[in-house]
Amino acid sequence: MISSSSRRIFAVITVLLACLAVFPWIGVPVYFVSLLFIVCMFVSLSTSWNLIGGYAGYLSFGHVAFFGIGAYTTALIAKGLHLSHFWTILSSVPAGFVAMLVAIAVGYPCLRLRGPYFAVVTLCFAFVVDLGVKNLDILGGPEGLWLKSPELPIETIRAILFEAMLVTMVLSIALSYWTGRSKFGAGLRAIKEDEEVAQTMAINAPRLKMQAFALSAFCPGMAGGIYAYYLTYIHTDIVFDMMISILIVLMALFGGGGTLMGPIIGAVLLTLINEGLSTFVKAELARIIYGCLFIGVIIYLPNGIMEFFKNDRCRFRMNKLKGIKSELRIEP
Amino acid sequence: MMGSVYALLGIGFSLSWGVMKVINISHAAFGLLAAFLAHSLLQWLGIDPILSVVISIPFLFLIACFIYRFLIAPITQAKEVIVSSMILTFGIAIILENLMLLIWSPDPRVMTTGYTSKVFVLGPFYFQYPRLAGFFMAVIGVLIIQFFLKKTYTGKAVRAAWQQPEAAQLYGVNLTRISMITFGLAVASAGAGGICMAFLYTFDPHTHNLWLIYLFLVVIVGGVGNVLGTALAGLIVGVITGLSLAFLPYQWVNLLTFGLLMIILIFRPQGLFQSEV
Repeated sequence: MISSSSRRIFAVITVLLACLAVFPWIGVPVYFVSLLFIVCMFVSLSTSWNLIGGYAGYLSFGHVAFFGIGAYTTALIAKGLHLSHFWTILSSVPAGFVAMLVAIAVGYPCLRLRGPYFAVVTLCFAFVVDLGVKNLDILGGPEGLWLKSPELPIETIRAILFEAMLVTMVLSIALSYWTGRSKFGAGLRAIKEDEEVAQTMAINAPRLKMQAFALSAFCPGMAGGIYAYYLTYIHTDIVFDMMISILIVLMALFGGGGTLMGPIIGAVLLTLINEGLSTFVKAELARIIYGCLFIGVIIYLPNGIMEFFKNDRCRFRMNKLKGIKSELRIEP
Repeated sequence: MMGSVYALLGIGFSLSWGVMKVINISHAAFGLLAAFLAHSLLQWLGIDPILSVVISIPFLFLIACFIYRFLIAPITQAKEVIVSSMILTFGIAIILENLMLLIWSPDPRVMTTGYTSKVFVLGPFYFQYPRLAGFFMAVIGVLIIQFFLKKTYTGKAVRAAWQQPEAAQLYGVNLTRISMITFGLAVASAGAGGICMAFLYTFDPHTHNLWLIYLFLVVIVGGVGNVLGTALAGLIVGVITGLSLAFLPYQWVNLLTFGLLMIILIFRPQGLFQSEV
């Protein structure tokens, strides 16, 4: 039974992916391809953030740094080696590895901190990288870097880059899926629940956290590389934009941290809502509605949108029971 | 001198983090709101920014109580208050920022009063009047908060709730009310701090992001929830940025600040003035 149902799910996913892959080639306006590109980018970003932020409960606000590092690495490799277009896209893979190396170097001291301290230190890390790159002239400095755009029609370029981003997204989702079911993921969840207890249970917490942090940096690095080629012009204000970092976190938590589907749903919903709102109303008003959305979700669905889908009667009763239990405990 | 202003901004932040475990991302945005209010009052009615504190503080206090009662109180029962409060207050910050953009447009502003360019001479030192005003307001603000915490009943209750929320409740402290008042005070002090900041720097609706980083720096250096530590840390940060401005080009100063914060966080996350977390 289980194998047949999981096979059916697998078939559905394959068909979905195939539809997505074919989508840019059937002559839709280039705007929709670009929109889908951005959606895929945010899905892969928030899904990879979920590895450290959702499963292990370490809120990293510095993931934009990996994204930006990926973008700059790709741009520098492509410029330095005069790569052809095909190889430029492929050079996002080493960009991912560079981001991973940086994550290991940064994670070593920073992962000892917990809770808000970790959040703040990663936030600072993102700012340090941003300002450092901006002030170094070899990296283009405040003027940014230009990449050569291939001499192809815009539809084709966008379609090719979309495919590349789709691959990144699938990779990050596969990583998240594997983490969710493996011993590795179970260890991370244990760390999230209680790190001391996890450690007494012979879980090597520092190593697991480190692996999760490094893994979660890889896909943003790759996505950054592809994004750099998509924009053909990169500047620290664009690829190190703090908004991206905060959006990643919000998308994952909005959908539901520590779940496979949560970040995907969150990223898709928030990107589409943002796009939809800014098309129809004034940008400032759109942002205000956006802010209200966060407040609403946090108050009514503190564990993310995923909660809403799981909320069948049995679970509801369980939650009620839990609520009563916790009330009893607080009562002196 | 600017340090004291950072301290005034930071204390409220430290209070709400320490007492309620609420990290108020919108703290600096409220400060900025007060700065804009003061600026408009000065332009339209000619009310001195220092006097406008009297108007904007009760205003912010009421708003903050309202926000606490209806938005933050429901989430304080959640397991991860810090995380959810960060997202919630980030939402508030976005709303405030864009409201300010709508009302006041994104142009940078400067607070210009009759005494902006006047200088007070004391021996070999020259003090600009606006800076002096900011400094004294900050010092008075810090003293008032310190007095409130040490001497008044509510302040003592706040400190009790800080140490042992459940035990404080046992002794008849109304935790929700206390938290509401603390949050209101914290935001009101942010308002005062924001007006002081407006004396020293130009500001536009996006400035609060930069202020927020300084807030984190000051609060973490001083130790979360430590009022005097925060005040001292504010002074230290002010001196460091002031000195580094003299030796480094401007764009490197922020880099130095963030680097410093990272180093302090990694080696002494409990702050410089506390022995343990």
